[in-house]
Amino acid sequence: MSEFLNLLAAGLTSGGIYGIFGACLAVWFRVCNVLNLAVGDFAMLGAVGTAWLTQTAGLPFGAGIAVALAGVGLVAWLFDRVVLHLAFDRGAGAHGIVSVFFYTFGLSLLLEGAARAMFGTDVFGAPAIWPGPALAVADFHVQRAGLLVIALAIVSGLLLWAYLRFTVSGRAASACGESVLGSRIVGIDSAKFRRRIFIVTALLAALFGIVESPITGYTYASGPTLSLIGVVAAGFAAFRQPGRAVAAGLAIGVAEAMLGGYVSTSYSDVLLYAILFCIIIVRPEVLGLGPEPA
Amino acid sequence: MPSATPPATPPATPALEVEDVSVSYGKFLAVESVTLTVGAGECVAVIGPNGHGKSSMVTAVAGLVRRGGVVRVFGQVLPAASPGAAVRAGLVLVPERRHLYPALSTRDNIMLGSYSRTRRIRARQAWQDVSWVLGMFPELARLLEQQAGTLSGGQQQMVALARAMAARPRVLLLDEPCLGLAEAVARRVYDWLGEMTRTDMTILLVEENPVHALLVADRAVRMYKGLVERAEARPA
Repeated sequence: MSEFLNLLAAGLTSGGIYGIFGACLAVWFRVCNVLNLAVGDFAMLGAVGTAWLTQTAGLPFGAGIAVALAGVGLVAWLFDRVVLHLAFDRGAGAHGIVSVFFYTFGLSLLLEGAARAMFGTDVFGAPAIWPGPALAVADFHVQRAGLLVIALAIVSGLLLWAYLRFTVSGRAASACGESVLGSRIVGIDSAKFRRRIFIVTALLAALFGIVESPITGYTYASGPTLSLIGVVAAGFAAFRQPGRAVAAGLAIGVAEAMLGGYVSTSYSDVLLYAILFCIIIVRPEVLGLGPEPA
Repeated sequence: MPSATPPATPPATPALEVEDVSVSYGKFLAVESVTLTVGAGECVAVIGPNGHGKSSMVTAVAGLVRRGGVVRVFGQVLPAASPGAAVRAGLVLVPERRHLYPALSTRDNIMLGSYSRTRRIRARQAWQDVSWVLGMFPELARLLEQQAGTLSGGQQQMVALARAMAARPRVLLLDEPCLGLAEAVARRVYDWLGEMTRTDMTILLVEENPVHALLVADRAVRMYKGLVERAEARPA
């Protein structure tokens, strides 16, 4: 029983990572129909930046977090004002969407290169927000940072779900992804929604990186992997439902941990990609490979 | 010394003034220089063959594309390329091909028409503010939870009209409202438009078919090669 519970805790922790990046990808995709491949790099920037600011530059922990988040927010704002604005708002239409997909990939490479130049190739872990030994109940152990990861994932998923489900602003954000012209004719500023949600998801990813990095440690090259596992979770949520992406991420994490614990760890990665292939075969429409909706 | 006699009533401010409006797409001049005025409560049709700048003109008036010239709504100058300012001034467009939000429900599509007006936070409250539009389109009441993308063309056109009415327009622009619709559905749209012309709403109707347009319009102007060519009176 304790083995099951420990595997469950480990699975939920890694599932929280899948879920949060899936949610960040899904909510921005919902607004502008583009996957942000740089979302993992924002997490890397938050984690590595906070670690470097507190451990090398000597800033207090709170100030380090604030400066790192401000830096991530500034990078996201600049990218929107300079690149996304040109791609989306100058009448590029569908070509703009295709371009932006590659621009976010370019941003990922840029952030990776900048982080390598600034912080080197070391592994960084931000100081723990909730320091102390793992919590133990009998033989069941769970790391404090792991609990924070799970909590942050669930709270983020619930907040994003409630925003889209119950608020006019959330419906307006969804309308931007459905029809840019249709949203503009009722006075919805699609560029503002795109910018706000890009920045909010960048900050959320960065905060998540800060919380999670004491567990796994981050290097300059951690970003693309995080973005990729987010794509898997977002795929289960039709790339549009952040709440479902968190639930899917947690389920994938638990399934992966159970398979690794009871069968073989070498199957865990295989499972992840098998799931992705199953999506392509069974529900191709969620990856944009199926027929268009009516 | 001659004395000027003031008029008994000052001339009413026109509802919509379009002055020297031009639209270009790159080097292509779609609308050369359009000037027209629509009085308050008047219904004016813009007719003419396809490809001569009618839709470009109304989308420019609604602030959706960059333009030259001046647009005024009840005397208020609208900034160019600012659809939000146009909606807040009471000028609302029903675009060609509707441009609904297909994955959202009919209810959300209509409710978002009031986006720039209600400033509500909760979607349920915002819907209560606009649910009166169902009185105009009772056939939509049973379709409220259905995704707009799954509705028929005629039903989608009703949703587009209801969305526009949710904005409480003072000036309504309609761009080819019957394009692609069956004749019976088009008749239903024109019946509704006829009802609207009996209210104080100002309407600018873009229509390729002059027979349709002159059923409801007080007068018509013809656009040809990006210019307003001539005015046509409504047949008696």
